[in-house]
Amino acid sequence: MPVQPKSSFARSLPVVAWSETIAQHADESREAPGDGGSAPSRRDILRLAGFAFAGAAFAGCQRAPVHYAVPYLVPPDEIVPGRSYDYASTCEGCSARCGLLVKNRDGRPIKLEGNPEHPLSRGGLCAVGQASLLGLYDQQRLQEPLQAGQPVAWAEADQAIGRQLDAIRKQKGSVRFLTGPGVGPASRAALAQFLKTFADGRHVVHEPRSCSAILEAHGRTHGVRLLPHYHIDKAEVIVSFDADFLGTWISPVEFTAAYQSGRRLDGPDAHLSYHVQFESLLSLTGSKADRRVCIAPGELATVMNYVAARLAPKAGLSWQDADPAEPSGGVSFLDHLVNHLWQNRQRSLILCGSQDVELQTLANYLNHVLGNYGATVDLARPSFQRDENDQALETLLKELHEGKVAALFIHQSNPIHDLPGGDRIAEDLKRVPLVVSLAPRLDETARLAHFVCPDHHYLESWSDAEPVNGVASLVQPVINPLGNTRALPESIATWTGKPQTAYDIVWQHWEKGVFPRQTQKLTFQDFWDRTLHDGFAAVTPRPLKAGPFNTATVHPAASPNRLPEGSYGVVLYSKVGMPDASHAYNPWLHELPDPISKITWDNYACLSPATAASLGVSNGDIVRLDSATQDSPAVLELPAFVQPGLHGQVVAVAVGYGSVLSQRFADIGPRWLQAGPTVGSDGLVGKNAASFLAWVKGGLRFSQSTVRLTKVGGQHPLASTQRDYHLNVPKHLDVPGRERRPIIRDTTLADYRQESLQKTKTEAFPKSDDLWPDDHPVTGARWGMVVDLNACTGCSACVIACQAENNFPVVGKDEVRRQREMHWLRIDRYYTERDDGVDVAHQPMMCQQCGNAPCEVVCPVLATVHSEDGLNQQVYNRCVGTRYCANNCPYKVRHFNWFDYAHDDHLQNLVLNPDVTVRSRGVMEKCTFCVQRIDAARSDAGGNGALPRDGVIQTACQQSCPSQAIVFGNLNDPKSRVARLAAGSRGYRVLAELNVQPSVSYLTLVRNRPVEGEGEKHG
Amino acid sequence: MATRLLTTILLVALALTSVIVVRRLQSYPLPGNQQGYEPEQPIAFSHRQHAGDLQISCLYCHGAAERSRHAGFPPASTCMTCHRFVTASQKVVVPELLEARKAHRAPQPVIAPELQKLYDALGLDSKLEPDPNKTPSPISWVRVHHLPAFTCFDHRSHTKAGVECQRCHGPVETMDRLRQVSDLSMGWCVNCHRETGRTGVDGKAVRPATDCATCHH
Repeated sequence: MPVQPKSSFARSLPVVAWSETIAQHADESREAPGDGGSAPSRRDILRLAGFAFAGAAFAGCQRAPVHYAVPYLVPPDEIVPGRSYDYASTCEGCSARCGLLVKNRDGRPIKLEGNPEHPLSRGGLCAVGQASLLGLYDQQRLQEPLQAGQPVAWAEADQAIGRQLDAIRKQKGSVRFLTGPGVGPASRAALAQFLKTFADGRHVVHEPRSCSAILEAHGRTHGVRLLPHYHIDKAEVIVSFDADFLGTWISPVEFTAAYQSGRRLDGPDAHLSYHVQFESLLSLTGSKADRRVCIAPGELATVMNYVAARLAPKAGLSWQDADPAEPSGGVSFLDHLVNHLWQNRQRSLILCGSQDVELQTLANYLNHVLGNYGATVDLARPSFQRDENDQALETLLKELHEGKVAALFIHQSNPIHDLPGGDRIAEDLKRVPLVVSLAPRLDETARLAHFVCPDHHYLESWSDAEPVNGVASLVQPVINPLGNTRALPESIATWTGKPQTAYDIVWQHWEKGVFPRQTQKLTFQDFWDRTLHDGFAAVTPRPLKAGPFNTATVHPAASPNRLPEGSYGVVLYSKVGMPDASHAYNPWLHELPDPISKITWDNYACLSPATAASLGVSNGDIVRLDSATQDSPAVLELPAFVQPGLHGQVVAVAVGYGSVLSQRFADIGPRWLQAGPTVGSDGLVGKNAASFLAWVKGGLRFSQSTVRLTKVGGQHPLASTQRDYHLNVPKHLDVPGRERRPIIRDTTLADYRQESLQKTKTEAFPKSDDLWPDDHPVTGARWGMVVDLNACTGCSACVIACQAENNFPVVGKDEVRRQREMHWLRIDRYYTERDDGVDVAHQPMMCQQCGNAPCEVVCPVLATVHSEDGLNQQVYNRCVGTRYCANNCPYKVRHFNWFDYAHDDHLQNLVLNPDVTVRSRGVMEKCTFCVQRIDAARSDAGGNGALPRDGVIQTACQQSCPSQAIVFGNLNDPKSRVARLAAGSRGYRVLAELNVQPSVSYLTLVRNRPVEGEGEKHG
Repeated sequence: MATRLLTTILLVALALTSVIVVRRLQSYPLPGNQQGYEPEQPIAFSHRQHAGDLQISCLYCHGAAERSRHAGFPPASTCMTCHRFVTASQKVVVPELLEARKAHRAPQPVIAPELQKLYDALGLDSKLEPDPNKTPSPISWVRVHHLPAFTCFDHRSHTKAGVECQRCHGPVETMDRLRQVSDLSMGWCVNCHRETGRTGVDGKAVRPATDCATCHH
């Protein structure tokens, strides 16, 4: 029992009592008008009010509340209060399993960062991974097991499930365990044990963004169902057929890091790979491609057939269809590409994102012809990140429909939401005698389960992973479980009849399965300790033998009929910030602007400008997608969004929306008179587009169905964070001789080479006289940043990193529509229209910490002032909210707290960074260059003006950037990396012509655009 | 009539309240200023005895001051480094020892009432062994020096610059119950930063920053 101390500043009780008495009297005199014969006069009321006011004023004169400090009784060894510690772990935000450093402060994780030593992710961590921290502090996560929707004790639930399982064992019934691909090896071993106890037990893996076709194709061509590990860094020429490998495909962080290491323009190993993207919608990867070819949906087969037919003869192989059909876009570029690929044999890479096994087989063939197997496509050390099997899933659905399944366990899968015909699956599930869901939240499927046995959040439990053969990693708990939940392997072990802790299960699996593969000759304890410290261990790969390439399995892919003019094909995609519906609970991800469309809180039907014009729709107009031709008709009404760079016959719709998990956002955002809803009329965020997924030949396809597209009346306003994307100056503002705004500088590789040979730096703005003398000299350090536009893919990992570090609130859709989003760091996206499509540039934009800051001179209360080390400081306590500074900021990076945003969810408040103030209403805020990190590093360096080594201070955005596009450091030190890059030939500053002297430099975007027909060498 | 009576009563009450408040006006300085705050603690720990008489270094208990923003409150295990052996003052323990020797019996354990609270918090029995019937529960000390959440004070840079603890916390080694000596206002901080920038700390030149973001971020 904590002792209740008597403070010498206790509330002065007599005063309170008096004021209460007064209030009572006031009430009585109002309620009893008959007493004096008349109602109290105005004067009486004023007099009483005066007393009440005086009393209240005295009552208010009290001390601040008493604060307690509760130290540990016996502290853990390494803990120093107020210091944060990084624990290495593995991210379970998706199945890519990137390396993680969990920043723990005072016993709770407050931020997730990438593990720089991890061989795959190399220090990056995507937006989804970082936002998964919020899931830990989710108030609506299930706290205990449920039976028929009612809380139940674990023992009871286990007993009931055990009884049913025993009966199934006796009757030799079928048990199916449906999971996502992210179940770790230790859990899989436990699962195999469990399923072995049944006569017919099977593990089925399902992932909404299926890669099943790749595994299937390798089964055909190499005899083993494997997902190869792609070495994008070793490829000179990367040709991607509809694979969004930088955004959402298999392992985006790993691929981004590898892609970037093949595209360095600075330093001795300067090198730029050549990336060609064929796609019908505009993906994040397409936006970075050196050459993006926009093709009609279904035309992929024609293109790949053509490339195969032209490549095969070069390798001396025969191709069945010597005279293939020509794609609609002409063949001159394809011929050039084929030559280019052939010149870069064994240094090229074909990636294919299609869910069509035939196309994947063709992609394998192209890689085989180019000799890429063993060079850039690794089958000896394949990837285990994905092993979903669509055929097995289809069989399961059939079995469910026929009522053959006696028990179904579901983990990390939500078939009712993610699969077409969800209603029918729901009906089928109701007929299964035992459905057990291990979902952490009540999603569509868990609502129908007889038992919900919630799994831990991955930051609460022991687990392991092996994303790529030979890279084994551990997941360690960094906090005690917040609810009465239970880890997956523990649940499985209990139902097998051998209850064990997750720690023991993982430990034993590693002792038997992983330790013998170690290469360092350690004892097991040392091996375990070292792996736990590092987060991963490089071990001998499991021997997996892929057969030789079987050319007999390859034949030209059947190309579907070209869509007739005026009809449209639906192409489903998943957003970078919302890969699937399991993240629909996460407000950070909903408010993260899509990297391409810049829209938050919705999914929508992307139409090309021409299509939109022909239909007469503009952004937000509701259109109806109607696939009446299918056997299962699907109808969806969605707001339209006009997306440049889209093929004219494509309607692109994001999946993963319209989940019941988004019901919670009905009340998000400030409540005020004109507040608008964040959710749609059905109470959900976005619409579920899974009904447009198509089952074709045992595979789930994202792009297949043709739809009728009609405009229906009505509007559903979209909340976009960027409305203008033109780099050209509008006609009426045009200054002669300067048509293009120099906000983004881009050039081609050839031009850049020529320029950098001349060593001329093109910052050609006339330097005007300073309005003010240099009255704030920057002594010591001057903090600056460099953002490499060539490296930036727009993936938005930095935006979420900034949000987690700097405590800015989620404001809701209506506020975003009013341009009141609070992201300190935004990524501007610009299009440049070309004859054959659009060029896209992403530009992270944060406070530029100007030397001559326009915001500082207009602040009437000196709330934004310059620091000694060149920072433009925002002092929240001085700010009175005139917003002059935001109006005078040429970069528009200041954000105003229009409201006191909700911080009443005490569980979610645990995610707040204790080093950063939570701002209140009426205060301006902006990027601080993570000044709390600068301060901490300077204190650690010894204080007293001592500067940390170059590279020690990493801002939050820099730390998590998968492509290391952001460099931070001291501009006053000419040897620092940031100063060298800023002074290099690619460095330029945005709006430098205003003479605001920003501290942020950008590096010119260089596109590798070899002239067609010339087989020029590069690299 | 009723209102007049009520007015009279209220006037008297107001006068009384004013008298009470005015008498204690000294303890009502500017809002947020807690100078002189001297709350009763759950355990009557004496800094005078420990830091003054026994000359235990401040950093023995508040060691995080050199490594972290916070100086930290010592965990109960730190107290136990001595109080595993010292269970009461000598004045009580020695007579019991003598008496026990005289009566040829084993001495009874003597535990001071304040220390008993510490042992209770740790869930220890009279032999200072863990008692399975007691649940350990941490001690809720009352914070004396409290800065608002928008101020990020860092102990590290101050201890590293050689600033003595007493400079801000006052003569703690003379206080039985801890009292806030300085007003901890921003002006007080900034004045010291300016002054030490000119004069240094103990003759050693220092560069204390006066930028807003030094403390407010």
